[in-house]
Amino acid sequence: MNSWRNLCAALGAVAVASLAPAAFAQQPPSPAPPQRVTIGYVEVAGDARYEPITGFGRLVLKNRERPFAGAQVGLDEAQALTRVLKTEFALERISVPSPAEVAAAVVQARDARGIQFFIVDAPADAFKPLAAAVRGRDVLIFNATAADDALRREVCAAQFVHTLPSLAMGMDGLVQYLVSRKWSNLLVFEGPLPADAVMAKAFENSAKKFGARIVARQQFKPGTDPREREKNDPALLSAINRDYDVVFVADHAFDFARQVPYHTVRARPVVGSIDLEATAWHWTWEHNGAPQVNSRFQKLTGGRHMEGTDWAAWIAVKMVLQAALRTRSTEFDKQRKFIVDEGTFDGNKGLAVSVRPWDHQLRQAILLAAPYSVVARAPVEGFLHKTNDLDTLGDDEPETPCRLNK
Amino acid sequence: MNGLVMQVVTARIMALSLALVVPALAAGQSHAKDTGLIFVSNEKTNNLIVLDPKTYQVVKDIKVSRRPRDMHFSADRSKLYVACGDDDVIDIIDVAKLEVVGKLATGPSPETFALDEKRRRIYVANEEGSSLSIIDIDQNIIVHEVPTGAEPEGVFLGEDGKTLYVTSEVGDLIHLVDAEGGHVTQDVVVGTRPRRFAATPDGKELWVTAELSGEVYIIDRANFAVSGKIEFLPPGMRKTDVTPVGLVMTKDGKTAYVTLGHAAHVAVVDVAARKVQAYILVGKRSWGITLTRDETRLFVANGFGDDITVIDTKSRKPIVSIPVGRIPWGVIIDD
Repeated sequence: MNSWRNLCAALGAVAVASLAPAAFAQQPPSPAPPQRVTIGYVEVAGDARYEPITGFGRLVLKNRERPFAGAQVGLDEAQALTRVLKTEFALERISVPSPAEVAAAVVQARDARGIQFFIVDAPADAFKPLAAAVRGRDVLIFNATAADDALRREVCAAQFVHTLPSLAMGMDGLVQYLVSRKWSNLLVFEGPLPADAVMAKAFENSAKKFGARIVARQQFKPGTDPREREKNDPALLSAINRDYDVVFVADHAFDFARQVPYHTVRARPVVGSIDLEATAWHWTWEHNGAPQVNSRFQKLTGGRHMEGTDWAAWIAVKMVLQAALRTRSTEFDKQRKFIVDEGTFDGNKGLAVSVRPWDHQLRQAILLAAPYSVVARAPVEGFLHKTNDLDTLGDDEPETPCRLNK
Repeated sequence: MNGLVMQVVTARIMALSLALVVPALAAGQSHAKDTGLIFVSNEKTNNLIVLDPKTYQVVKDIKVSRRPRDMHFSADRSKLYVACGDDDVIDIIDVAKLEVVGKLATGPSPETFALDEKRRRIYVANEEGSSLSIIDIDQNIIVHEVPTGAEPEGVFLGEDGKTLYVTSEVGDLIHLVDAEGGHVTQDVVVGTRPRRFAATPDGKELWVTAELSGEVYIIDRANFAVSGKIEFLPPGMRKTDVTPVGLVMTKDGKTAYVTLGHAAHVAVVDVAARKVQAYILVGKRSWGITLTRDETRLFVANGFGDDITVIDTKSRKPIVSIPVGRIPWGVIIDD
């Protein structure tokens, strides 16, 4: 109490002292207006990815939030830089009615308002028209929410930087951990959604890459119909002759996945869509200064836990700020070159993150998270790469089908 | 056989400690016993492990507030101040009794601090608060809260007690702070994630580690500008593993020792030439580093090894590793 009163008194004194000369002294010539760098944040109104995930009986299992708050935390951290660089940084939130309209909004913001950096918070189908619309233009677009591998492969573009890890990176990280524990016989449960099949396929690719075995791939069909119990009961689905070390579930709808743990015939851990998930960030990560990032985020959001997409939006802002700081330039070309060619950035999860020149994916660690703790960080110890161990995750240069500048 | 040796050793230690204690008692003073005791703060086990300087045996395990980190002695060495990040306090330890005798409230998550006994002030960086607290030791109140860049960490108080240097880990900045007025007067940009300071004894240069860019920046204190930098790469390591944090300089200002974090080495640097002379193998995530007063031994806290490494500075070889608590942060010696 005492210390607060004293602090307030001290602050009051400082305020008065600093006001006095301004009021009475002659006004100095007003300084040049500060430069301003605006980052556009483009989102899709009614984006289905942010609807709550519900279960039987209208239970709300998960609320999902847009990562705008992540970008805001990145901006708040830059207050001291505003003074040093004499540059103001701002976020402009742009909402469009559908993914197809993202491209037009970006072009319009570039032409009408000179915005050149964008964080795009849109599903994968927004990116193909976007790539066509910005080809050869002086913009840099951060993809903070779409993990689809296709965006780093067939749809890749020089104007994109993917700050969210690709699905392949997540699955590689997960399999590295399983293999490091010698849990290399894997049972796969695959859901009916196209995204489930894509995830199961990515997991299978990772298993092949790191020498694990898929012992069976079971298609499930969520429901309660007893006539379909062979397809909707985790116990029956897991009752196979061959043994397995781990059950992997690919279930974006989530209502089936939540019923897999403790319902398998054999006592086996569950990974994938539940229990042990591959993610860009977790609110319990306690190294590399992560607790401070998490608490800044929680303070801003009133206690929400920072997630992978929040991290991806946060680091995008940070990369733009670093580009301004390190190049000491307001020229877009110099800043862009710094971000995609030269810069390494502190992602608060270990090894410095940087952009892969071959597909513009941000190389970074993957956190393997249980609900209340980070079990491991990939690259897992022992998985080595000839230049950067982070490149053991996802598409490496020799494998990528992306031809950015060709 | 072993028992006999142990007895002899014990007897010698007792004789030694008696010899040390008696003159102090005779003079009727409660300070500067030069016990040589080694204090290690452990972030995860919330304790200070106190080691005997000769046997490296644990003398005392002092329970402190949560997440103890930076430590400083009072000038007469009767008290040890310990910043405890998770309880927002600085614990005060009585060095003779080896127990906590008081606490000072700080801002959120104190990490490192500087002590000015003449002015009765403590300057402490609050990692969570993006501020520096200036604390009046006697009244136990915060007299100024100085806004800094995000995640302030290293604090260095100039010899005149009037200027203060603070790093901002997230801002990649060093702030120059008017210690009396309690406000930032200048900023200088350095490498990524600046952490700790060491000043050359001639007062001309300030060295600061940049953890993520793997460098030490050298700041010319006269004009507060970067005048050089040093990069590190121990043999067989990658640039990305090199994460310097702690550093210490010899009293003659000729040699600096820099802990390289995940690269698990200490770099020996020729200060005048600004060149690395050698790398010494230590444990993982080496951070805290300190020299004995005679500068024959270096103590290094290995955060992920849960131990400290003792290095012989002459041969530049590690002599022994001593297990301590979990995630040791720093080492300080009462000599």
